[in-house]
Amino acid sequence: MNPANYLYLSALLFTIGAAGVLMRRNAIIVFMCVELMLNAANLTFVTFARQHGNLEGQIIALFVMVVAAAEVVVGLAIIVTMQRTRRSASVDDAHLLKY
Amino acid sequence: MIRLAASETLIPAPNIEYYELSPILIVFGVGVLAVLVEAFLPRAHRLHAQLALCLTGLVAAFVVVCTLTDEAQENARAVPQKVAAEGAVAIDGMTLFLQGTILLLGVVAVLLLAERRLGGEFAASAATVPGSAAEKETTRLGWVQTEIYPLLMFSIGGMLIFPAANDLLLMFVALEVLSLPLYLLCGLARRRRLLSQEAALKYFLLGAFSSAFFLYGIALLYGYAGSVRLSDINAAVSGSEDNDALLLIGMALLAVGLLFKVGAVPFHAWTPDVYQGAPTPVTAFMAAATKVAAFGALLRVFYVGLGGAKWDWHPMFWGVAMVTMLFGSLVALVQTDVKRMLAYSSIAHAGFILVGLVATNAEGLSATMFYLLAYGFSTIAAFAIISLVRDGSGEATHLSQWAGLGRRSPVVAGMFALLLLAFAGIPLTSGFTAKFAVFSASASAGGTPLIVVGVLSSTVAAFFYIRVIVLMFFSAPVTDGPRVAVPSLTTALAVWIGVAVTVFLGVLPQPVLDLADNASFLIS
Amino acid sequence: MDGNVYIPIAVLAALGFGFAAFSVVTGALTGPKRYNRAKLDAYECGIEPTPQPVGGGRVSVKYYTIAMLFIIFDIEIIFLYPWAVTFDSFGISILVEMALFIVTVFVPLIYVWRRGGLDWDH
Repeated sequence: MNPANYLYLSALLFTIGAAGVLMRRNAIIVFMCVELMLNAANLTFVTFARQHGNLEGQIIALFVMVVAAAEVVVGLAIIVTMQRTRRSASVDDAHLLKY
Repeated sequence: MIRLAASETLIPAPNIEYYELSPILIVFGVGVLAVLVEAFLPRAHRLHAQLALCLTGLVAAFVVVCTLTDEAQENARAVPQKVAAEGAVAIDGMTLFLQGTILLLGVVAVLLLAERRLGGEFAASAATVPGSAAEKETTRLGWVQTEIYPLLMFSIGGMLIFPAANDLLLMFVALEVLSLPLYLLCGLARRRRLLSQEAALKYFLLGAFSSAFFLYGIALLYGYAGSVRLSDINAAVSGSEDNDALLLIGMALLAVGLLFKVGAVPFHAWTPDVYQGAPTPVTAFMAAATKVAAFGALLRVFYVGLGGAKWDWHPMFWGVAMVTMLFGSLVALVQTDVKRMLAYSSIAHAGFILVGLVATNAEGLSATMFYLLAYGFSTIAAFAIISLVRDGSGEATHLSQWAGLGRRSPVVAGMFALLLLAFAGIPLTSGFTAKFAVFSASASAGGTPLIVVGVLSSTVAAFFYIRVIVLMFFSAPVTDGPRVAVPSLTTALAVWIGVAVTVFLGVLPQPVLDLADNASFLIS
Repeated sequence: MDGNVYIPIAVLAALGFGFAAFSVVTGALTGPKRYNRAKLDAYECGIEPTPQPVGGGRVSVKYYTIAMLFIIFDIEIIFLYPWAVTFDSFGISILVEMALFIVTVFVPLIYVWRRGGLDWDH
């Protein structure tokens, strides 16, 4: 199969993720969209690793997964704390910091 | 005889230069030890143990950085140059200079974090819901969230790697290692906890968003060059013409991630909110040290890895530098909160530092490094002073409350005025030397329009800095206004260090300028 | 090419089946036999299923703590896979490296344990 197709798919996933971050209002969903973007990057890494015939991209994908997991933990901690305080995870409710 | 399909020959073990990497290893080791201290020491002893541990670690790491610089100079080379850890880490002049700067800023930050006399800046227990009975109980018991120290150490460790990373994967990991603890630290304020948690959420979501762009940029550059090593990318850039789209898009996405971290327009939106909401010692540390680390990484990526594509990224950075300087200075004019004003001022300063970066020559590099050092110490001291001006409900950050402060506490107001003058770039302060250095570097590289915009925005910026000074010294004090609290020794020490460096670099900048000149060297 | 290469697989399979048979038989012979509702359920996992509340219901915040801890320690193991595959090709150094890594991961586990993070009723 043509590797370019995987690249198109990953670009599409990345765009969906980015659009989701900008449009969704629930912090958890925004965060899930960020994870989608990271995984899109992972798909790109693996595809290019195959195209270039070296393993570097695959190893990078492993590292990205670990980093993403660490990010999930920190992110969930922050979001859950917010949720317990305000009983809401909507980013629109976070509006105390303004000019 | 059964034999599995293992290869006969041993792959040689990777060569790790432990000595050259020891500043980083010491800081991370201290971080891990600090976690163990949290786990096993009784609550009453934790604070002192953490302080002793962190300060010792940072000073030890700093001593090693100095020794490394010294040794390299003794070996008849002007600058140290070594690629460590199989080429993933570059130990060169810039790395050591910036690592030294970050470690010193880290020491000052630990001193600020240790403030106890003002009731502490950090929540007694971050896990309690604000306003709940549990929160009151933990506060009454005098708990402190001493986890801030290991978090700070991990963040500093990430910052030490960030400018040294000679490999984009390592750079990404370092970016996350420095950011994740900062997100958490932002949400730990003792007062105005809702504001603080909101700052943490915003910083986290936007930070994660930008790091996703950064990562996708790396993926595209990997596709372009077949490697994430900066030297390989450089070879690919100089060697071929094809597949330019991957290079250009990858480069742009990489720039998004890095410019977000330095807080340059148009990726600055988080800066004012986070600076305002975070506990002031954390703001101080973030404003100073994150900028140093992020500019270091920016310099390395674009000078070393993408130097061959200079004409593709150069115009973009010109534009970003101009807009950042103007926007930061203009918006700072209308701020009414001191922390927000300094946040916009830090955006403007990011623009000035970018002027040094777009000079793309050795003077530009050394001027940028000098600027980072000078700005770091001034800004950390300025935020430290903000944490001292208090009324009954905590810090008084609204500008109107600062009226007449100079009459009540001339020494503290005087020091704050001095730091503001340094931000404005008035002679005999470090700010002047730093601005002069970046502008002259830019002039030698033909950046006259940039200098014009820079001087213009400096003038605008000087207006709002001086407005605060006038407010402090020449307005009638507000009745019932805030007082300058008497801090504990550590905060006082932090303020004095910051002010002393600001004056020293203004009056006698030559030794440090020479140091930066000698260090303005990147391994390619 | 002789069939010797399949011996390790056969040994492994025998060990696997043997262990399974041993566990089942020993458990049945020695374990106490107390029947309760949980054991008589269609899908037995040792816990009585809670009825699904109307509207999905709320998940306790404790669940997130456990989930977060699980994610972080679960994902760290990912590095063990490439390590195990190439273990033969490296010398002693890689063993030391992995030991260091595991110790580093172990330290936060100690912290979590000491602070009661593993304690559901905390």
